[in-house]
Amino acid sequence: MKSEILRVFSFYFFLGKKSTRTKIFFVLSLVSVLLAVVIRVYRLAGHWTESGQVVFQNFLMVFFLQFLIIILALFYGTSTVAEELEGRTLPYLSSRPIARAAIITGKYLAYLSLTFMIMVSAVLASFLVLNLDQDFRLADLLTVIRYSLVLLLGLAAYLAFFTFLSTWLKKPILVGLAFGFGWESVIQYFPGTTQKFSVAHYLKSLLPQYTTSAGKLGFLFIRLEPSRPAIAVMTLLLIASVFLALASLIFSYKEYLFED
Amino acid sequence: MRAVIEARDLSRWYGNVLGISEVTLEIQPGITALLGPNGAGKSTFMKIITGQLKPNIGEAMIYGERVWNNRRIFRQLGFCPEADAFYEELTGFEFLTGLLSLYGFRQSECRERAEHVLKVVELYDVRHRQVRSYSRGMRQRIKVAQAIAHDPEILILDEPLSGLDPLSKRRVIKLIKEFKAHGKTIVVSSHVLPEVEAMTSEIVLIHQGKILARGDIYFIRELIDTHPHMIRIKSPAFRELARILAPEDYILNISFNQEDQSVIFETHHRDRFFNRLNDLVLESDLKVDEITSPDDNLQAIFDYLVGK
Repeated sequence: MKSEILRVFSFYFFLGKKSTRTKIFFVLSLVSVLLAVVIRVYRLAGHWTESGQVVFQNFLMVFFLQFLIIILALFYGTSTVAEELEGRTLPYLSSRPIARAAIITGKYLAYLSLTFMIMVSAVLASFLVLNLDQDFRLADLLTVIRYSLVLLLGLAAYLAFFTFLSTWLKKPILVGLAFGFGWESVIQYFPGTTQKFSVAHYLKSLLPQYTTSAGKLGFLFIRLEPSRPAIAVMTLLLIASVFLALASLIFSYKEYLFED
Repeated sequence: MRAVIEARDLSRWYGNVLGISEVTLEIQPGITALLGPNGAGKSTFMKIITGQLKPNIGEAMIYGERVWNNRRIFRQLGFCPEADAFYEELTGFEFLTGLLSLYGFRQSECRERAEHVLKVVELYDVRHRQVRSYSRGMRQRIKVAQAIAHDPEILILDEPLSGLDPLSKRRVIKLIKEFKAHGKTIVVSSHVLPEVEAMTSEIVLIHQGKILARGDIYFIRELIDTHPHMIRIKSPAFRELARILAPEDYILNISFNQEDQSVIFETHHRDRFFNRLNDLVLESDLKVDEITSPDDNLQAIFDYLVGK
């Protein structure tokens, strides 16, 4: 099974690198770098006194956390089965000596790697644009590593959920949009335990700027009642594992018919 | 000898629409053609025996094993689907090596196999072009290539000649025959009788989801030849043609269409009719603009066979 997953992973990672979709999302991710350039210029002009680190953590992370990882996971995850059905390429996969669960897991890992690469390059570039000056130390890059790992956990959870939708529903993108930009955007601000029904809650629980209300943009983070970091990490991993397992299970037993 | 492919009472519906009904069939090594009009159930049958679909009733077996989710069987199976669908952003070479890698071959072996099969289907020179830039014939051949690249024991080809020009058709037919020469099992579907005749004499007639008849081509021909054929000939000398051919005993009826200067012959011996027509055109100065068969399609023949 492991080798089958690896085969599927290699094929789809290669396919994904060549796809127009990846190029489009790479360009979209560069919006963060553009924002960073604008802020940097603004700071150089003396209109912004916050440090690069603070701007990155309080401003650009909102873009990564609330928009980029959701949109990446949504478009890659919901396409896992849908693209094979729409493109009618599913028989090329399902007639190969590969367990159906391995197809889903391999594609999931390929898309997770691709989306993480897109995201991490944007995170790194925008961080450097904001922070690269004479005071810059290599240790500052620890922030990038830490934030990238949190975003990776977020991608893993969202992607697994959207992959699950893809195996289950005929048109998963609408439900995915409603979840990613409806449910997730609203529920995380609910008080009490309700906010724990969102992925965003656990991601924010891992980031210092969300767990304190300090900073200029603190008003954006009100009412977060953070879970403990260990619980947050475990919950995110659990969400990813459960939905990936469900997706694999559904794909193993469900028949997929083309439109006609 | 145990059949390579066995279908027992296979039935499959799509909602209220019947795909196939109570199909029982045993297929031995060699080429077996599924012949039937569009929508007859050929593709449904092929999808079931390649594990794309599950039957509602009955079972499909290959080498005595159930097909659905059976990786051991898939290793010995090559499937060429009907749809003109590809990973368009890949080159022909990448498409083949990518799919070969799913069998677990080493990279070097994937490359060797892909190069070999690209030469077999005569696409080696265009291997580094994206599949999206291929012509219809090239796309059909690369689709066949992906089905044979891993050297399977069983080859299932769904309408492999569809949309091909005559030269490409010949190439694919040659390929299929070569595959048979190695003792393998090939199931091929088509709705065009002459195409099937060029590949095999073992035919299964399928219509409205049921097996209508099974036998060699001569048996099928006999069935079909009892069906009166309509042949329309457009010629400036259409009356003269009718006058010459009218006394022939295989002509059942003759009608004229003054407007487009054509004559329609009804005959139950198509081959004899065409032989005579060929001689006539060669012997005399009769000019023939167009020959068509208004009912020369499988649907008409099948309707006739089932007594519609």
